[in-house]
Parts: sequence; C-alpha cells; structure tokens
Amino acid sequence: MYYLIILLVYAAVDAIACLGLSQQFGVAGVTNFGFIIFQAAGAYVAAVLALPKDTADGGFQTYIGGYGLHFPLPWIGAAVAGGVLALPFTFLVGRRLRGDFAAVGLLVTAVLLNLLVMNYRPLFNGDAGVALVPAPLSSGMFVSTSNNYQYGFAIAGMILVAVAYWFVRRITESPYGRTLRAMRDNDKVADSLGKNLLALRTGAMVTGGAIAGLSGAILVSFIGVWSPAAWSYAETIVLFTAVIIGGAGNHLGAILGAVLVPVGFEEVTRFISNNDPSLPPNLLPSLQWVAIGLLIVVFLWVRPQGVLPERRRVIKLPDRASTPAPARVRDEDGAGGAILSVADVTKDFGGVHAVAGVSLSVGRGSLTGLIGPNGAGKSTLLSLLAGTEKVSSGRITYLGSDITGRPAFRRARIGLVRTFQLASEFKRLTVMENLLSAVPANRGDSFLGALAGRRYWRRDEAAATARAADLLERFGLAAKANDYAGELSGGQRRLVEIMRALMTEPDLLLLDEPMAGVHPELARRIGQALRELCRQGMTILMVEHELAIMDEFCDPVIVMADGRVLAEGTMAELRGRTEVVEAYLVG
Amino acid sequence: MSLLLASVGFGLVTSAVLAIAAVGFTLQFAVTDVLNLAFAAVMTAGAFAAYLVNEAGASIWVAIVAAMAAGAVLSAVLNYVVYTPFQRRGAAPITLVIISLGTALIVEFGIAALAGGINVSYLMSQGKTHDLGGLILTTVQLIIIAISLVVMVGVYAMLRYTKLGKAMRATAANRMLARSCGIRAGRVIAITWGLTGALCGLAGTVFAIDVGSFNASSTDIFLILILAAVFLGGPGNAYGAMLGALVIGLGTEVSAAYIDADYKYVVAFVILLAMLAVRPTGLLGAAT
Repeated sequence: MYYLIILLVYAAVDAIACLGLSQQFGVAGVTNFGFIIFQAAGAYVAAVLALPKDTADGGFQTYIGGYGLHFPLPWIGAAVAGGVLALPFTFLVGRRLRGDFAAVGLLVTAVLLNLLVMNYRPLFNGDAGVALVPAPLSSGMFVSTSNNYQYGFAIAGMILVAVAYWFVRRITESPYGRTLRAMRDNDKVADSLGKNLLALRTGAMVTGGAIAGLSGAILVSFIGVWSPAAWSYAETIVLFTAVIIGGAGNHLGAILGAVLVPVGFEEVTRFISNNDPSLPPNLLPSLQWVAIGLLIVVFLWVRPQGVLPERRRVIKLPDRASTPAPARVRDEDGAGGAILSVADVTKDFGGVHAVAGVSLSVGRGSLTGLIGPNGAGKSTLLSLLAGTEKVSSGRITYLGSDITGRPAFRRARIGLVRTFQLASEFKRLTVMENLLSAVPANRGDSFLGALAGRRYWRRDEAAATARAADLLERFGLAAKANDYAGELSGGQRRLVEIMRALMTEPDLLLLDEPMAGVHPELARRIGQALRELCRQGMTILMVEHELAIMDEFCDPVIVMADGRVLAEGTMAELRGRTEVVEAYLVG
Repeated sequence: MSLLLASVGFGLVTSAVLAIAAVGFTLQFAVTDVLNLAFAAVMTAGAFAAYLVNEAGASIWVAIVAAMAAGAVLSAVLNYVVYTPFQRRGAAPITLVIISLGTALIVEFGIAALAGGINVSYLMSQGKTHDLGGLILTTVQLIIIAISLVVMVGVYAMLRYTKLGKAMRATAANRMLARSCGIRAGRVIAITWGLTGALCGLAGTVFAIDVGSFNASSTDIFLILILAAVFLGGPGNAYGAMLGALVIGLGTEVSAAYIDADYKYVVAFVILLAMLAVRPTGLLGAAT
C-alpha cells in the first residue's frame, strides 16, 4: 500500500514534467536536452526556500539562503525559478542555430551544471545534496508517515497534474499553439510569415522550465532530499523517451508516456530488482538503460507518432450564408509609384557573387515578373528582399523606409511577404490551419491571449476562418480544408502556400515559382486570381520560368543573369533584345 | 613555472587523444550527416576490445589494432542497422541526434552489463620518464603523441591526395551533386563509417591508456571535450577539429593547474557555448 502511494506521487511528478516537455518539444519543437536542469533547479529552490537557515542545522550541510518559508511559497518559487532559469538559454534556441546544435549545447550544459553543483559545496551541499527538506503543511522534518497525509499528498499531486494538463492544453489549442506548431514544422517559413521565433521559443522554454520546476518542487517535498545523482543528464533522455512513446504533441500521450516509461520502468523496478543477491550488482540498472535506448530507437522506427498521436484539429467551414470578410481597404496614396526600391544590393556566398549589384524598383499595384536562367540569382534576390538572407551590401527601401537591416518577421508584419521555391507547407497542420496560422493580429496568437481562453479570441478566429474558407472556395480546395497539408499533391501544396501568404493580407507579395509543378490550367487560374488581387491594390513580384505565364500576366518583366539585372520591359520588348535571348540560350 | 610546464605536458597528451577522437567525429558528421552522440560509447567499446586482447596476453600496442577493428565494425553496423535506414526515410537531423542518444545508451550500458560496471586497466608499463626541456613525459605519453601526429598527417594526406579523400570531401559538400558526378555516395558513406570508427576505437584505447583505469561510463565527460573541440573548429572541418583539440586539451589541463581541477571542464564548456552563441560555424568555418 505504501509503495502504491509512493508510485502515485512519482507518477504525478513524472507526468507534470512530461507535460512540460510535451509542450516544449512536441508542440513548439524545441529540443531541450537540458530539460532535467529545470526540474533540478525547481527542487533545489523549493528546498532552500523551505529549509531553515543552515546554521540552525548544526552545519552538517551547507546551502545558500535557507528561508524557512511555508507552503506553498517554496513550490511557487520553484516554478518561477524554473521559468527564469530558461531565459539565459534562449540565446541558444532562439537564434538561427540549427536545432540539433542547440540540443547538443543544452545537453552539454546539463552535464556540466551537474558537475559544477556536485563539486561546489557552498551552493547546494555538493554531491551529498540537501537533506531534511521540510514537507509541506507538516510539523516534522520528514514527510509524515500517517496514511492520511500520504494519501493527501498523492491526491494533491494528481490535482496538479490536472492543472498542468489544463494549462498546456489551453495554450496548445489556441491560435498561439497553432503558431508554435507551425514553427515546429518549418521555422524559416513561420519567420517569413511574421512570427517572432525568438519570442515564441523563449515562451516555450520558460513555460516548460516553470512546469519542470514545479515537478521538482513536488518531488523534493516528498522525498526530502535532492542531490546531483537525482538529475543526471540521462534522466532527460528518460523523459524524452516517455514523450516520444506517449506521442509528441499529444498531452494525454505525455501522461501515458510518464506512466509507461519513468514510472513503469524506473520506479517500479527500483523496488523489485536490487534485492536479488544472485545477480551482479550493476546488471539490472545497466539493462534498464539499454532498454530505454532500445525503446527510443525501436519506437521512432515502428511508430514515430507515438501511442497516442497528435490529433487532427478539424475546423468546420462556416456556412456559405455567412458574409465574406470585407477586403482590406488599402492606402491609395502614391498609387503607381514605387512600393519597393533596391539600390546596388549584393550577396556573396563565400567567393560566389550570387547577387552582384542589383538595382530595381517595383511599381505599386503591378504584377512584376522576374525571369532568368538557373543560377541567375532570382531566388537569392527574393530571399534578400524578404529578409530570409542578409544582404552583403546595398539598400532596400519599402514604403519609403529603409528596411535593409530588418529581420524577416518584421518585414512580414509591414506587409512584405514571400513564398518559397521548395515545398514549405506546415506538414502536420491541416490546410485550414496552414491558412489560419498566417493571420496577423489574432487576439489568441499570444501567450496571454491563449491563456485568456477561447471566449477572448473566438471572434478573431471566426473572422479568419471565414476569410480562409473564402480563399479555399476561390482556389477550389474547400474539400481538402481538413486534410493534413503534408498529404496533398505537389500542385495543391503550392496553392496552400499562395493562399497562406494571401492570408497575411500583404501589400507586396514575393512569389518564388508559384506555378512550378502546377497543372497548366490551374496555373492560368492562379494567374488570373493574382491579376485580380493586383487590381485591388496588391503588388506582386513573381519569379517564374514559364514564359507563357509571363506573357499573359506580368508587366513589366525583369530579366536577371549572373546576379545582375539585364533588362526590363514588357515581354514583347524583351523578345526583341538580343542580349536577353542570348542569356537564355547560353544559360 | 614547473607547474605550468607539467600542465602543458598533460595538456599535450590530452590534446593528442582528443585530436584523434575529434577528427573522427567531425569527419563522420561531415560525410554522413549524423551528429553521432554514440561516438564516445563506441570509443569505450574499442577500449574494452583492446582490454580483452590485452588480457589474452598481447601487448597493448598490438591490442590497439583490435580496438580499431572493433570500432570500425561497430560503427559500420550502427550505420547499416540504425542510421542509414532512418536517413532513407528522411528523418530530420534532430531525430537522428535523439536516435544517436538512444544508441549511445544501448552501447554504453550494454558494455556495462557485460563488463559488470567495474574499473579495469591494461597490463602495460608506463616506460621511462623523459625530461624534454622541462616537459616531463613518459615513454607511453610520447607514443600517444606520436600516434596522434601520425593520424593527423595521415588524415591530411588522405583528404588531400587520395581519390577516397576527395570523394569524401565532395560528399560532405553536397551529397546529391557528388552522386550526379559519379561518386557512389552510399559507398563513400559506408567507408567513412568504417574509417572514422577505426579512429574512434583508436581514440578509445589511447584515452584508456592515458587515464589508467576505466569503465563503461568513463568517456561520458570526454564526449563534451570532443564536442567542444569539434565546434571550436567548426563542425565538419577536420583541420578545425585538430586546432580545436589543441586549444581544448591545453586549455583544460593548464587551467586545472591554477583553478580547482574539478572545474577544468568548465573551460571547455564555456568555449563550446560561446562558439554556439557567437559563431556556430567555428573558428575555421565560413561566416554566416
């Protein structure tokens, strides 16, 4: 019976930690191999907040602080500490560092911090760790052994699991959660749609850190001791295994994983195995770790989506009776003038001059084409304009202000949005979600907005859904609204991408080969729709190889070759110029 | 002064061991695209293979060959059974890192289960002590440095002059392009696993010789030194890894002479995080 209660408490602790990790890794895609640090920090902070001043203990252990605070202050402090501790690490995950490099950095941090705390006694009593941590609402030093207290503790743990579940679910099922999932699927694209990756990842690190901190506080309050041996870097792997097996991105899966892996595996065997004298002392623990390793590899092969996969969010299309959202009223000042001008922009990759001094301007309301042989620098130029890549030199002016130094998401927020040449849909979001993820200024697309709940952002969401449904209807994809974008055909995915960009209501849309791999008939329909949008005041700059499309829709057309602008004019004019024809023939 | 010189001596030996491992790790990453966190576990496997041969009566310097063979075979098997199948499926780089962590657990604790988790050491003599203008080194330490130098020169010559080395560089730069130029990328990758695995087994054994006694988990911390050296020089850059190994090896040991030896790894840690934050392409890498 006693074991059962202990197991329940451990299950609660592991479930809460796994919920934090599920939010961070499964939803936001931040692979934090140092996750255990945050649980450890929570446990230590809860311990020193609850412990009396160290001199009072006769000096057998040393630790900083010792505040003798009463429950629930140590637990709250632990959650805060876990969250605050995440801040210095955001420089690793927030920058454009490859996710796997950042993960290695965090893993190394976990190992080294463990080593430091183990060797530096004044902080948390070194490798011996802190002991005699007072239990909440208990007069004695140890957790009272009375059955009622134990039951109470276990039940409190379960309630906190429910609270943590409610919390992460509320975030995940909001527009903000959708943005996090979009970032997980393709961060570069999320950036180009105006999402601030640094802020989003900071949010994920802090949320996960705080939840992990709380789990550490519960654990230390129950077992009364905490030492570096309890939080080796390998414990993070156990939690990752749990989340992967349960189903990354599904919070119920995280709880299930916590029950299956850390509880079922570690804690249960802790009671059974180590008492058998006929076995070598290290055999069973070693085999446990082997089994954890096997679980990771085998599960990722056999069932990468986990036991409980992330569920599909089906969004009902509004009835056609609903009023279509009004088109945005555009500022008509300076119509016909340049919306974007580029002065002497260059981009070098190593020794290669991909873009070598381009100057051009794009007239407001025009559907400008950009053609040129492969390797002419068209896509690179688009990346420079959208801010996906930084210019080596030169100046980009948009709507009268210099945007050369602005990051991609800030450009997107002022209406300068791009699409990508390679497929860049958010694979594990539905078509509808792909479209909705791009909508700027949804009240639910912030951490606090998400916490405020559905009632707070329902109206924005409904308006966005209506607009998305409209677009889907116009491009003939309404029937696919609730399919995963990753399961569509190539042409359909191009459409999703164009529609998603349109959802941001851009002033200047940069399209990179939007008709590549699209059926010619559909390509013409897209062309007509784009021309219609330009008539309504949008400006489009489009890279395309299909000259027939250029002929029919684009005016003017800019020709690039070898990183430079070769000519500009209508297609008819360009056909008469020998250097243009040559560039194409030679290229 | 003598303290400094002594620590420089230690540092050179650590650098020598580290250089072999770091060059193996970085070449493996460059060509195969796997950030293989199981590398240190495979090192241990090599060290234990050498231990078995050494126990059977062979000299440790002969046993090193067995370690290299074990490292090569184990790496090739891991590639064949685990990494290549996942890569064929288009697994993301981060998924492969997670898988390599799982693999590290399997190998490391598989050895621990077999070996019983005890510390072992090779039967060998440390040889005479030599005073080289203040640097005090044993014969064994000099041999380790010599082996490392031979490996560095060998890697340089291979990458520079052999067909295989050029194919490896081409595959590392752009696998698709290499393939369309007639390079059999799959075979280059398989050979790379074997070669870097041999370096890994060698590194494991000289590491074990250097530290004296070891167990299945001894290389855990050493992995961090490897990562620090690799990221300092720029991931995938073999010459960068050599430079990184020298800096990290000397940095940890010399700092250990002046600050508490328990904290010597902190130097490597700070260097690694600083590199990730400021210049993830490494000292010798291209600017972003």
